[in-house]
Amino acid sequence: MFGFLRQVGDYTRDAVSASRQIAAGLSVTFDHLRRRPVTVQYPYEKLIPSERYRGRIHYEFDKCIACEVCVRVCPINLPVVDWVMNKATKKKELRNYSIDFGVCIFCGNCVEYCPTNCLSMTEEYELASFDRHSLNYDNVALGRLPTSVTTDPSVVALRELAYLPKGEMDPHTVAADRPRAGQRPDQIVAAEAAPSSPETR
Amino acid sequence: MPTPFTVDLEAGFRGLVETTGLSPAASRLIWLPLPMLLVLVAAVVGVLVTVWLERKISAAAQQRIGPEYAGALGILQPLADGLKLLVKEDVIPARADGLLFTLGPVLVVVPVILSWLIVPFGQHLLISNVGIGIFLWIALSSIQPIGLLMSGYASNNKYSLLGGLRAAAQSISYEIPLALAVLAVVMMSNSLSTVDIVDQQSGAGLLSWNIWRQPVGFLVFWICALAECERLPFDLPEAEEELVAGYQTEYAGMKFALFYLGSYINLVLSALLVTVLYLGGWGFPLPVEWLASLLGQSIDAPLVQVLTASLGIVMTVLKAYLLVFTAILLRWTVPRVRIDQLLDFGWKFLLPIALVNLLATAALKLAFPAVFGG
Repeated sequence: MFGFLRQVGDYTRDAVSASRQIAAGLSVTFDHLRRRPVTVQYPYEKLIPSERYRGRIHYEFDKCIACEVCVRVCPINLPVVDWVMNKATKKKELRNYSIDFGVCIFCGNCVEYCPTNCLSMTEEYELASFDRHSLNYDNVALGRLPTSVTTDPSVVALRELAYLPKGEMDPHTVAADRPRAGQRPDQIVAAEAAPSSPETR
Repeated sequence: MPTPFTVDLEAGFRGLVETTGLSPAASRLIWLPLPMLLVLVAAVVGVLVTVWLERKISAAAQQRIGPEYAGALGILQPLADGLKLLVKEDVIPARADGLLFTLGPVLVVVPVILSWLIVPFGQHLLISNVGIGIFLWIALSSIQPIGLLMSGYASNNKYSLLGGLRAAAQSISYEIPLALAVLAVVMMSNSLSTVDIVDQQSGAGLLSWNIWRQPVGFLVFWICALAECERLPFDLPEAEEELVAGYQTEYAGMKFALFYLGSYINLVLSALLVTVLYLGGWGFPLPVEWLASLLGQSIDAPLVQVLTASLGIVMTVLKAYLLVFTAILLRWTVPRVRIDQLLDFGWKFLLPIALVNLLATAALKLAFPAVFGG
């Protein structure tokens, strides 16, 4: 008899605590209704990619010496370096260079190892196309520079969270000239070189 | 002595038609399709508003903006969705049962729309004041799982079949506590008619609403109604993480639109019925008779009658949409339950609670007939 009553009591307590938790959850959800949206209204607004953003690869044909280091460091040997040996000058003659961005994983190894710095990462990330074969960029397409978000008149450029002043969460409300939180590397170097900190190592 | 003026659209319309020299039978024939059309339009508009609200409130709960380019504030977005579904290709999967596949969504939508028959927006503002009112709705809503099962079975897809079976199990399990909760209300108002149920709550405005006499019944009914509508946290039949889209998996175009429409009409209908059963229906929080006498107006004056009728419609819709809002808020608050938890909750929690509630109501009715309906 008492066992049954205890069971009923436990059950009631569980039910009450469950409904209190649901009420707490509802208040959290309700509280979100009055918060401002944090979303970026792409394509009318775009975030400015960070300076270390690994986007589409840029390639300078004239700098390339066709050494194929990019191919060797690539996880899947992706870059296609089309060269012929010029018997007369005994030098490689580069004819074509291409990277298929449908397959590339944007790891940046080729950029890292290129001995003549003819490869570099851009901030371009809008690579969508109707045909996957058009993602195979040749040396002409690779040589194009992307339009910067900040100079595009049809786009409102917004700063990413890490580039906002301290305590700010929403890029929409932050003035463009307010500096980001913390110091840039050059500012740190300048501060260390300044005479106000004379300690020597 | 002139009879007191009441807002009775049917009598007014038929009187108007008969002045042109038509027989009463002909005027009745002209009148008959009008309320049906009105209900269809009201239901569809209600759904469009609900879909828009769902998208906007969901967006706000997730700190997004939601639709904003189709019409002002994206108000035309549901219309655009509907139009898209309308012109999409109608696909019947290979080796599916074409007849059952087509019949399924129809069987899901028709009972839901038919149930609008009994929803009152005022003393005379409903399609049909049938004596069995609320019972008719319970009976009609039992047809729905047959349609769900049918479409799940006919799709020739294991996800669809599982979804259909779950939908049937869920509907059958939650029908019983739902009916018991309704029964307690019916016992208090001595009538199954929705108009009588609202009339019984109209004595003292806000204080005489059934929610104070039936708080447990209100909760049980609302939970069961959410389960019947397959809303989160009870949307197992179409749980996308496990069943793709349940019984809707193979549907596209207009047949999918029927499911979509049906589920939202059902949500609005459930909210309206909670309003009718527990929140005083078309009643204003203060009794309108009291307000009219305060302003020195007779409650039977034509203008006052028109005003109270409009107020009644506004109040019904307002209360219903408040409940829709809570349903949307619940959707983003409560995670989906498992199928065993769902059935446990229905059979081991809601059913005993609803039974105890019914017995307590019966006892209280015998003990305090003045408060709990004589």
